Amino acid sequence: MNLRRFFGLCTLAALVLTVAVGEGISADNPTKKEIKQAQKKAAELKKTADAKKAAEDAAKVAAAKPKPATPAGNPAFSKVAPPEPATPLKPALIGAANDTTAVARFIDAQILKKQIEEKITAAPLASDAEFLRRAYLDITGVIPTADQAKAFLASTETTKRAKLIDELLASTNYGRHQADIWMNLLIQKSSDNRRVDFSSMRPWLAGEFNANRPWNELVTEIVTASGDQEKNPAVGFYLSNTTVDKMTDDVCKVFLGLQLQCAQCHNHPFTGWRQTEYWSMAQFFMKVEVDGLGKDGKPGIIETNNVKRKKNPLPESAQTVSAKFLQAEEPKLDKTSPYRPSLAKWMTSQTNPFFAKAMVNRMWAELFGYGIVNPVDDMVGQNLPSHPDMLNALAADFAGNKYDLKQLIRAICNSDAYQRSSKPSAGNEKAAEWTFARMAMKVLSPEQIYDSISSVTGVEKAEGKQPMKGMNKGPTAGPRERFVNFFLSGAEQLSTVEYEAGIPQALKLMNSRFVGNPNIAKAYAKPGTKPADAIQQMYLATLSRMPTEAETKRLTEYLGKSSTNTDGYGDILWALLNSSEFALTR
Amino acid sequence: MFSSVLQERTRREVMKLSAAGVFGASLSGWMKVLANAAETPAAKPKHKSCILLWMEGGASHKDTFDLKPDSKGAGDFKPIATSAPGVQISEHLPKLAKLMHTGVIVRGMSTPEGAHGRAKYYGHTGYREGQGGITYPSLGAIASQELGSTTASVPNFVAIGGRSYGSGFLGPKHQPLQVQSPDKGVEDLKAIISEGQFNKRVGLLQEMESAFFKEYKADAITDHKTAYERAVKLMQSKEAKSFDLALEPAASRAKYGTGRFADGVLMARRLVEIGVPFIEVSLGGWDTHMDNFERVKKLSGEIDSPMSALITDLQERGLLDSTLIVWMGDFGRTPNINTKGAKPGRDHFPKAWSLAMFGGGIKGGQIIGKTDKEGAEVVERKTTAQDCLATFCDVLSIDHTKKNDTPTGRPITIVDKPNAFTKMIV
Repeated sequence: MNLRRFFGLCTLAALVLTVAVGEGISADNPTKKEIKQAQKKAAELKKTADAKKAAEDAAKVAAAKPKPATPAGNPAFSKVAPPEPATPLKPALIGAANDTTAVARFIDAQILKKQIEEKITAAPLASDAEFLRRAYLDITGVIPTADQAKAFLASTETTKRAKLIDELLASTNYGRHQADIWMNLLIQKSSDNRRVDFSSMRPWLAGEFNANRPWNELVTEIVTASGDQEKNPAVGFYLSNTTVDKMTDDVCKVFLGLQLQCAQCHNHPFTGWRQTEYWSMAQFFMKVEVDGLGKDGKPGIIETNNVKRKKNPLPESAQTVSAKFLQAEEPKLDKTSPYRPSLAKWMTSQTNPFFAKAMVNRMWAELFGYGIVNPVDDMVGQNLPSHPDMLNALAADFAGNKYDLKQLIRAICNSDAYQRSSKPSAGNEKAAEWTFARMAMKVLSPEQIYDSISSVTGVEKAEGKQPMKGMNKGPTAGPRERFVNFFLSGAEQLSTVEYEAGIPQALKLMNSRFVGNPNIAKAYAKPGTKPADAIQQMYLATLSRMPTEAETKRLTEYLGKSSTNTDGYGDILWALLNSSEFALTR
Repeated sequence: MFSSVLQERTRREVMKLSAAGVFGASLSGWMKVLANAAETPAAKPKHKSCILLWMEGGASHKDTFDLKPDSKGAGDFKPIATSAPGVQISEHLPKLAKLMHTGVIVRGMSTPEGAHGRAKYYGHTGYREGQGGITYPSLGAIASQELGSTTASVPNFVAIGGRSYGSGFLGPKHQPLQVQSPDKGVEDLKAIISEGQFNKRVGLLQEMESAFFKEYKADAITDHKTAYERAVKLMQSKEAKSFDLALEPAASRAKYGTGRFADGVLMARRLVEIGVPFIEVSLGGWDTHMDNFERVKKLSGEIDSPMSALITDLQERGLLDSTLIVWMGDFGRTPNINTKGAKPGRDHFPKAWSLAMFGGGIKGGQIIGKTDKEGAEVVERKTTAQDCLATFCDVLSIDHTKKNDTPTGRPITIVDKPNAFTKMIV
């Protein structure tokens, strides 16, 4: 524990507390007597005017030797209060069942209230072009084709935006996009599972999302998954998180929005989760046996009373405690039955304080770039919701609507808040993101970039080398996976609001044939096509909008100066595909 | 492994939020820490470089740097004298033997991981895979952060040949530039069209970028522009020529020999010459469960010329003292010979093994640590990966006691509780 940092953060009382805890230091440095003296002095000095500085000095003596963390937990951490018990959810529809309009209006009212408090003027609504590309990318993970874009922009229907949202939710790309997101969340590659082929889980997930499986049912299926991977792709989650601690960590993180992992070894130094609380939750996974990860193995999961833990041992920090739901009761578990169903039932119950909020917050963050609570998987302690009433009400409505995900997305996307422009305007140039005064500029994920470039170029395959053979004798990755891994560049996920790609990615986009193949421009610039038409088609295909008059003029001029038509059109298409307007969602 | 980068609070965001007073009067926990950890690009003084030569699969110590001719599983190779008095290495490293006075052999390596993936992770990061639910940065990423320049035209961490371990929670900025085939150079470094046309395109792109930024003014646009500027700068820089091995004089290139490893080592030297702080070059094939002696002999031949050429070239250029070369692998191999297959082999053995260091200003000609007669037990100076990483950091002038914050604000020391042996070698 870095005491220097601790000093900077705490009030004097806490400072003295730290000093008081510095007992039992080894005989190498200050003696116990010296320490006790320093502690006494620190306590006395608390009363004086320049107490803080003097107490710091005294405390430095007392705490001269840094304490190594003990397996039982640093006693200092016990002094941090555990988190407030979370309030059970009370499912309550905001309007009627599946009432898109009521929920959208509710969201707008809540957001407006805080904007007025902060004296912020929200940005105007996004233009059709801004909304179009954003909705396509956010809901289906890919830009519209030129024809789709043209049709939407030309339509004069007053309800076209609501209709588009419905269409996008009904398209199969919706499930594909959600599967991309959830594969990243559920599956982590490590050296343990490098031979396992997780690819069957992706279409399974996509299917579930497209069928709009109620979220509580889908999560129950993942959490209680058993059997051979061949028959039940959902076991992929456990084939990826092979030890009890990983299972506990990930389930809490992705489904409950809680980062418990620090509490594995000691009471959490900042949020106060108890180590016993952690291991009480971990008990539900104690019967899970992971098998078949090795060469020629048949990967699968069972729950059994005689778990073989040769390859997946319990960590040193493991505690033997009764199974207990987080901040809730100890269930009576039947020792002859699986434990996970009991956990899943509690997690997904209509009154669970964490489950609905976690998904609402996560979905909000997907659509807005920032969650109502940030980070989305650490919804506790100092991470306060920007709009707590709104979060609670949306969670209650989500549960009331039987965890209907598409309905949640539909309602949010129909709000004005979602449809605001991302352009700064008077009254919101300096607005903090949490006010949602305007939509954040979002960064396309590697999957979205790949799919969108493929959509423009009509080329699904990235030309390139065969995947490396060698130590990782796992399944070979296809072109899309290789491209995504290259862009992830080792990270599990990239930020949706910070552009994090570097030189290698820029080089690939500028100089690879995937993007720069000269034949692609030819498709847009067939002989006889007027420059203005070809330019318009390119803009619709890449940026999902019409070029402005100035842009058309400038590019026609550019074409005139190009040595050949192919060169000219090639340059324009290349620039569009490499532009930040392409790589970002405004 | 459990980063929540999707919604992490960025430094900019935290400062805006604290300005808006979201958290009220007292910011506690790591939020304030993030806000205070300003990234001021201080002018970096001239720094050392590190070349990590990673022997994939785990090289047999008894057949390379720690021969035991009187032991049970002594094997086929004979030890030979080297330029360092009292130091003997394998007869199949004759060129390197003439340079052992510049090197230190650490024979007391004893590490806890016997599986390739986990051992490589541990060797590169000093942490056990999955520990605390965090993905740790490899030494290369740390060197990139501590020694590298944010404005350099060439990336600070280059990995040639196999896959290296990446930057973990330090983020994409410190990921290595991967060069799969050194003889082909950096993938996509050259435009697929003429230089003239490329420049025209870039001009067009710049116009589009300016217009977009003028309207939307988002940070992401600026960051996108920066990445592209650096990439174009790299393409046009003379530094990029360091990646072009064809520019190396033929006689010089011949000293290194042929093959991907030789090319990689040569590229590493060229990159050190332009100030790249960390280059890793891998050589696979050391996992000699079967046919140990034929294969190790061949591999020894593959490293002997390039490593010797590297050391002498750096010496000639006055760069040896400022370049630390590390020869290292997953673990060692069993002191006894197995007769599983048709030809004799050795299996994984992390309990006792060797690594070697050259240059960097270390006092060469030494042996750190000792194994027993069989090469099976470390009897003197048990050395862990942490000990080594801390020592490498000391040699490179990196403060390994420094802590870096994970995205959730947890402070992680660069090397965890090491017992460095720096004092013995500088």
